[in-house]
Amino acid sequence: MKKIFAISLSVVLVIAAVTSCENDLPMFFKFSAYEFSGLDVDGGSWQPILFSSADDIVIDDPVAVNSAEYQAELAALKSATQNLSGSQREAVEYWTNNPAIRWNEIALELAAKYNLIPPPNPDGSYTLPSPANPQGPPPFPFAHPPYTSRMLAYLSVAQFDGLIAAWYYKYEHNRPAPYVTDTSIPYAYKKNSLPSYPSDGAVIATVSRDILKAMFPLEHDYLNAKAEEHLNSLQWSGSNTTSDIEAGKTIGTIVKTAALARASTDKMSAAQTPRPVSDAIKQAAIDRFGWSWDNQESPQRPVGLTPLFGQVTMWSVPDVEDVRPGPPPAPGSAEFQVAANELKSIAKNLTEKQRKIANWWSDGLGTYTPPGHWNRRAKEYIIKYGLNPLRTARTFAYLNMAVMDAGIACWDAKYYYHYPRPIQTIPGFKTILGTPNFPAYTSGHSTFSGAAADVLAYIFPPETNAVRAWAEEAGESRIYGGIHYRFDAEVGLAQGRAVAAYTISRAQQDGADN
Amino acid sequence: MKKTLLVGAFFCCAGLLYGQTFSDAIMMKKKEICFAFMFDQGKWDQYWEGNTLIKNMNIGTFTRNTYMPMIAYGITDKLNILLVIPYVNTESTGGQLAGVKGFQDVNIGVKYEAFKKDFGKHRVSALAVAQFGTPMTNYLSDYMPYSLGLGTQELTGRIIGQYEFNKMVYLRGSVAYLWRGQTEVERPYYYANGSYYTTYMDVPSAVNYQAILGGWLLNHNLRLEASYASLNCVSGDDIRRWNMPQPTNKMEVTNAGFFAQYYLKAFEPLKGFSVMAAYSQVLEGRNMGKSANIIGGVTYQFTF
Repeated sequence: MKKIFAISLSVVLVIAAVTSCENDLPMFFKFSAYEFSGLDVDGGSWQPILFSSADDIVIDDPVAVNSAEYQAELAALKSATQNLSGSQREAVEYWTNNPAIRWNEIALELAAKYNLIPPPNPDGSYTLPSPANPQGPPPFPFAHPPYTSRMLAYLSVAQFDGLIAAWYYKYEHNRPAPYVTDTSIPYAYKKNSLPSYPSDGAVIATVSRDILKAMFPLEHDYLNAKAEEHLNSLQWSGSNTTSDIEAGKTIGTIVKTAALARASTDKMSAAQTPRPVSDAIKQAAIDRFGWSWDNQESPQRPVGLTPLFGQVTMWSVPDVEDVRPGPPPAPGSAEFQVAANELKSIAKNLTEKQRKIANWWSDGLGTYTPPGHWNRRAKEYIIKYGLNPLRTARTFAYLNMAVMDAGIACWDAKYYYHYPRPIQTIPGFKTILGTPNFPAYTSGHSTFSGAAADVLAYIFPPETNAVRAWAEEAGESRIYGGIHYRFDAEVGLAQGRAVAAYTISRAQQDGADN
Repeated sequence: MKKTLLVGAFFCCAGLLYGQTFSDAIMMKKKEICFAFMFDQGKWDQYWEGNTLIKNMNIGTFTRNTYMPMIAYGITDKLNILLVIPYVNTESTGGQLAGVKGFQDVNIGVKYEAFKKDFGKHRVSALAVAQFGTPMTNYLSDYMPYSLGLGTQELTGRIIGQYEFNKMVYLRGSVAYLWRGQTEVERPYYYANGSYYTTYMDVPSAVNYQAILGGWLLNHNLRLEASYASLNCVSGDDIRRWNMPQPTNKMEVTNAGFFAQYYLKAFEPLKGFSVMAAYSQVLEGRNMGKSANIIGGVTYQFTF
């Protein structure tokens, strides 16, 4: 009996030991509403991306604060803030006073959900996702890195332009926050002097919902529900009255229309080419250089990923050939052999540290991709430095325009040079990461990261060394993973930085640095 | 003494067939010690993506070899301890992903015989086993199906009941619950029906059932068993379409197998040794390979 007791006791103790070290796993970034480091009173004068100036976007003038209509709105708002349920309080806490952060996370989650490569059919052929038949199978989209970079760029640009317009009218009309006019209205976040008409939160909710609905057509219900909760939380938190919110929605609708108009003509729809076009691109490389990349999967994928993404309209670079690097060393050349030998040596003697770096930056299928990884880093800096919603949107906008432009530049090089991957050139070579379905030179990770790091260094100068080190590590990670030669990574990093120089030069002239 | 030897060796090796140890109804006497070495080779060329059985030519035929040195020791007649140190290597014939090799999870267990009673020719016994496993090396669990293991601590509580007739045939059943902790992975984000901003994954706990029909032949020198077993995670997500598996997956498996063990007690220089062989086949699964396993091993037992 004693023994049974002793055994039971030790079992209970071990269970306690096992379970007590379990962490509560975070599904979004944990932060609370914070005080903004500045309000950017002149933000309405900044240069938008899709409009010539903020007043291109027109909304109604607000009614007077002392009007009966507005007083009724204040009364309704006051009542909306009373007796919040647990889930309403959670929503207020979740969305915070900088909700672009949450929409960026939602975008990243959808990228990860849809970043699945189409499987082969039983006959060995492949069916590609089609926006005309989003259910598929396979479902639309395949949110690969080029797709995700573009999705994030339109989302962030629309958020930015919408908030420039919101700032413009906020300081044009100077309607005080509800809790200023009626001190009995509680406010859930940190008080400041930002005028409340139009609601910046409603702009963010509207553009984010609508851009993401266009990018993820199977997620309309999910996105509508998120936006509804977000818009309601603007009242539960005491942030905005109905007319503030309606004016924000109006701005959001105008901006998303302009953003989606650009998206419909940016040539993305032609990026995934039919086989004859793909074969012609490959033949051009053979004629030019004497080599070509071939997909090594079984059954072989007949067309690489988005061969014409390199022709998609760029945001800040006048011509993609302006940032096209020189050719890589020919396979078999002495310079190539050095790089190939390095890969073989790493594969043979892989250290735990190298393995960890390869996995840390792998951001492959089923994840938020390298553009998502850099957005996540940007988000953490935005909160660390207390950026207001407008500066937040600006950070994401320039980051994601640079990252998309970097992707376009990288894809131009990939299909112009059509350079084979290590698993194609090194007989019997095995890797710890899956080799993607596109040519090697230049490395996408390196190009995305080179561009992202320079934009973040421009916006957060004290972080320059950290972000540049990360970019180099991201490039290095592909060498450790066995899927890129060192020259893919080094040239890619430089190419990304060359792209970012255009983006940063544009940002420096938008008025925010004045 | 003869019988004791036999019984001890039996204990040592039973249950390995089903990918678990420590699940039979036999106890070693005080101060008996048994060494065993087993080799288990599992192969599959189809796997369940969720509930759908598929082939993937980028994996081809997948092989997992497990080398298992074991020690068992009788602290008392009713309390035994066991230790297993598996070494694993994996590879596949298709695709270009590299296999891995290394020590997997050390497992230590205690087994307690709570009840044993004879009713004429009928014998009934009941036992309880507690088993704890933890990774021996810093292997990467998030590299499935190649990874060495799930990379988490695992605590198993098992109850075993056996009925034996005339020391010739027996019927045994066991139920176990496997509490599993978290595994640390090397990426800062993953998707498992939602975003996870962490390097930790919850590895789903599991329930295991086992039914065995066994018998003795050739003057109690040859033991034969037929088994049917299942292991089902109680939570977890499915492998997404054409995506890699990950440790958060809800794995389920049902298999059937045969097992034979021959004791060399009639051959004086080899007294104390036994040889064994087994075969098992996965019948149904979820987020698992449809594996066929062959197992071979030797055991050696003596008393201090």
